[in-house]
Amino acid sequence: MSASPQALREALVALLPRLRRFARALARDVHDADDLVQIAVERALTRSGQLRPDAPLSSWMFGIVRNAWLDELRARGRRARVFAPEESAERVGDASQGGHAEALAVQDALARLPEEQCEAVALVLIEGFSYKEAAHIMEVPIGTLTSRLARGREALQEMLDESGGARR
Amino acid sequence: MSYSEETLMAYADGELDPAARAALEAAMAADPGLAQRVARHQALRARLRAALDPVLDEPLPQRLLESVRGAAAPRPAAKVIPLKRPAAPRWSWPQLGALAASLVLGALLGPLVLHPPAGGGAVITRDGEMLAGGALARALTEELASNRTPGSPVEIGVSFRARDGGYCRSFQLREEKALAGVACREHDAWRLEVLAQSPPQPPAAGGYRPAATALPPSVARTLDELRAGEALDASAEAAARAHGWER
Repeated sequence: MSASPQALREALVALLPRLRRFARALARDVHDADDLVQIAVERALTRSGQLRPDAPLSSWMFGIVRNAWLDELRARGRRARVFAPEESAERVGDASQGGHAEALAVQDALARLPEEQCEAVALVLIEGFSYKEAAHIMEVPIGTLTSRLARGREALQEMLDESGGARR
Repeated sequence: MSYSEETLMAYADGELDPAARAALEAAMAADPGLAQRVARHQALRARLRAALDPVLDEPLPQRLLESVRGAAAPRPAAKVIPLKRPAAPRWSWPQLGALAASLVLGALLGPLVLHPPAGGGAVITRDGEMLAGGALARALTEELASNRTPGSPVEIGVSFRARDGGYCRSFQLREEKALAGVACREHDAWRLEVLAQSPPQPPAAGGYRPAATALPPSVARTLDELRAGEALDASAEAAARAHGWER
């Protein structure tokens, strides 16, 4: 027994704000992030049969977003987290519109993390998943998750301490 | 005793068990340097959230809503309703329906939501979190596991204290496609920690199902992970209700 398609769609709408936040942490660029969510939603709807009735929709969905992002990175090539200048310019525009130099500094720091640290940080520190849930979403043992999280945190602290001026 | 950064991070992430947490808190009280190291991890969490949380308040892009709803979905005007509503009113069904129709704020899972009873939708979202609404919220606030209300659409399973000291309750919705879940009291609302469809079960013969039988595994797991000790007994539960479920 799985949720009716309509119920799943409604549940996905409810999850969209969080999925967009997660995607933004991964992809940084607004349009890339929404592309990612769109791909993930389309995958989820075609694979809804894989959703076990007892499985929490959110971990399943975050896992799909994460896998879609890894696919995207693979397609772009590993070093492709450097964005084209016009995209950066647009993003700066978006951020300064809200007057969020601080938010921009944080997003830049996240973007400079190795992928596996970035997703660990995003799942636990931003999305509030437990270690167990985050490890499940990333399909790694908890020990791997916690070490990625620790390294990601230290790297972020260092980067953000350096750019501390952005806070004032 | 010296603490590893990993332990301090686990504390900031709410991952320590109650004994380890209490020991660390005592150590922090005696050692400002230690407290400062913990504060650094907590500050990073707060900083990340502050940077990314505004995404939750952005209007949802039309193309995403169309992807979710399918091509046949009605296209509402792009109307922006901020997700953060100061002093959120108790939404009535027509209002919720309008919101869902405007595709800006969806709310909803399951049959209660699609065919809501007069009491309102069981699940609402606020700031991207799923909260209990309508009859479910009322039952969580008012009903006792130790003294069930006949005819209520909600069956409270157990009440317990979570590791962070707050109150949580498991519940099942008595509907055709039963949903079960765990909700924890957070300020003025019941935050849904997990919500899943119950496996099919034979109709109870004239009585209630025993509490906590046939809970979906994800719900049972969440229950185990959250709870700090035994379920509240009848008097502790009544006392918690009398205090508005405040920790």
